[in-house]
Amino acid sequence: MAVYKRGYRRYAGPLTGSWTRFLVLPRYAWRRLYQQRLVLLLTIVAFVWPLLCGGFIYLSNHVELLQGLDQEFKQFIQVDGRFFSVFMYVQAGFAVFLAALAGPSLIAPDLANNALPLYLSRPLTRWTYALARLTVLVGMLSVVTWIPGLILFGLQVGLAGGSWFRANWTLGTGMFLGFVIWLLILSLVAMASSAYVKWRIVAAAVSLAFFFILSGVGAMIQEVLRVNWGHIINPAWTVNQIWCVLLGVPVLEGPGAGASAIALTVMALLLVLVIERKLRPVEVVK
Amino acid sequence: MIELENLTVKLGRREILHGISCRLGVSGKGKAVGLLGPNGAGKSTLILTLLGFLRPSAGRASILGFDCRRRCSEARSRIGYMPENDSFIGDMSAVTFVRQMAELSGLPPEAALEKTHQILFHVGLGEARYRELRTYSLGMKQMAKLAQAIVHGPELVILDEPTNGLDPAARRRMLKLITEMKNEQGMNVLVCSHLLRDIEQVCDEAVIMKDGRIVHHCNLEEERRSNRSFVELEVTGDDSHLRAALPDIGAEGVPEGLGRWRIVLPPGVEVDAIWNLVGRQNLLVRKLTHRRDSLEEIFLKAMGHLTHTPGERAAN
Repeated sequence: MAVYKRGYRRYAGPLTGSWTRFLVLPRYAWRRLYQQRLVLLLTIVAFVWPLLCGGFIYLSNHVELLQGLDQEFKQFIQVDGRFFSVFMYVQAGFAVFLAALAGPSLIAPDLANNALPLYLSRPLTRWTYALARLTVLVGMLSVVTWIPGLILFGLQVGLAGGSWFRANWTLGTGMFLGFVIWLLILSLVAMASSAYVKWRIVAAAVSLAFFFILSGVGAMIQEVLRVNWGHIINPAWTVNQIWCVLLGVPVLEGPGAGASAIALTVMALLLVLVIERKLRPVEVVK
Repeated sequence: MIELENLTVKLGRREILHGISCRLGVSGKGKAVGLLGPNGAGKSTLILTLLGFLRPSAGRASILGFDCRRRCSEARSRIGYMPENDSFIGDMSAVTFVRQMAELSGLPPEAALEKTHQILFHVGLGEARYRELRTYSLGMKQMAKLAQAIVHGPELVILDEPTNGLDPAARRRMLKLITEMKNEQGMNVLVCSHLLRDIEQVCDEAVIMKDGRIVHHCNLEEERRSNRSFVELEVTGDDSHLRAALPDIGAEGVPEGLGRWRIVLPPGVEVDAIWNLVGRQNLLVRKLTHRRDSLEEIFLKAMGHLTHTPGERAAN
């Protein structure tokens, strides 16, 4: 029977599990995000570098193809911690722009259109709503960061063999953990700016400015006060320090990975605080 | 349906609800309760507290037996909420929007899609269901909000000013839908409105709030029944024996001169008895009306603008 002839009857069938319902939001959000051409384009472009890295791994494991090249170059193309750190820098850059592009369209429209009361009048708490939005960003950024990273790692293991894996397995876990930390920070920044500024374009600008301004301020502190801890407020720099430790690469001069981890934790807590203050179903005028 | 026990809600230092206690909608399924009150009476604060958006500073509130604070999730899974203001996601079609809301309430994706189409036809948005919500008129947005509130078949629907901004035809349609929701679907409805006629038309109970307190709680059906016994009669002819004859049918009456009478009928006596009695007295009826307290009179009395209803004065 045609739907318009059926009339409305109350639903009385089985319900989905209450713990998985928050995943409805990411499912709808991903569908909408990948309908945006710019997001799709940037995601595709972000795969170029992993493809090049894949070619690099292939070459480094096929020395017979490099016979015409000198010894120095052969030593340069090693798949080690430095190789993965370079891979991570490039992909992390793409992730910043992707988060700035996609993040603001997640929360800002809900706040601008007063949609939060509709979501939160259902069996969904503020925290599960925030978790759902975080899942959207982390999931989306994972596609261009640790997933291709682990594929490259798997490719290298496949080509170099079990002995390379036994000697370098920490690179895989380090890369995964390093990316997860970066994605969490990026997602929290995007969500906080989106929750704070209801206008989508401004929220995207704020999201990008957060990294550039803090980087600039960190460098200014460093130069003006002639100290070596100025970069501690620069999230990109602090994450890099942690990555260096995770990948076994020498850290930069300044506060170490421990101090950087503390600085990032404080930053993350502040961002969570902003989200907590702004994500409310009703604005209470006290 | 809703139980409030000494419910106190503070926003900052301001106390908005002052220890409200009452039980609403205890008379069974498919009932509608109207929440009335002037601006600032605390109606919206009460609704937001029931939804768990605001925390009570003292007392407790429960919906369908679930504490609004401790078992908020269980309560919310059984209710639908239609907010007063524009609440939607502009770049979504009505189908996507309502389906997403249905899935969030726990419907499996296929069932959610089916119910979405059904409900959108039911509220009259069938032909416009694939249009983006931002292109909808105010009346259509109201209907889309109603659709998302009932798509999952909740036990209780909370409607905040459902007829706001609607033209007369759309208003009639909205009230008809609310009546169908309770009569045919067995949903309980809590309607918050400042339009007394809307409440009178669709509700079985009414709660009147003022300054954060409940000043009147009445069963509208009982009010209608009790007030039906007030009759205004105007006759031509010799009515000098009418007063003595009224006790024969168990009624009492007060002559007001020039053939005008105010009569109080006891429970169970219908107006037909007056017609018969007047006929036996050879009187011609020029006018006979059931004088009853309207909700407006009840409201004005609750607000302190009237000391008593005209019906009460006639009875006394």
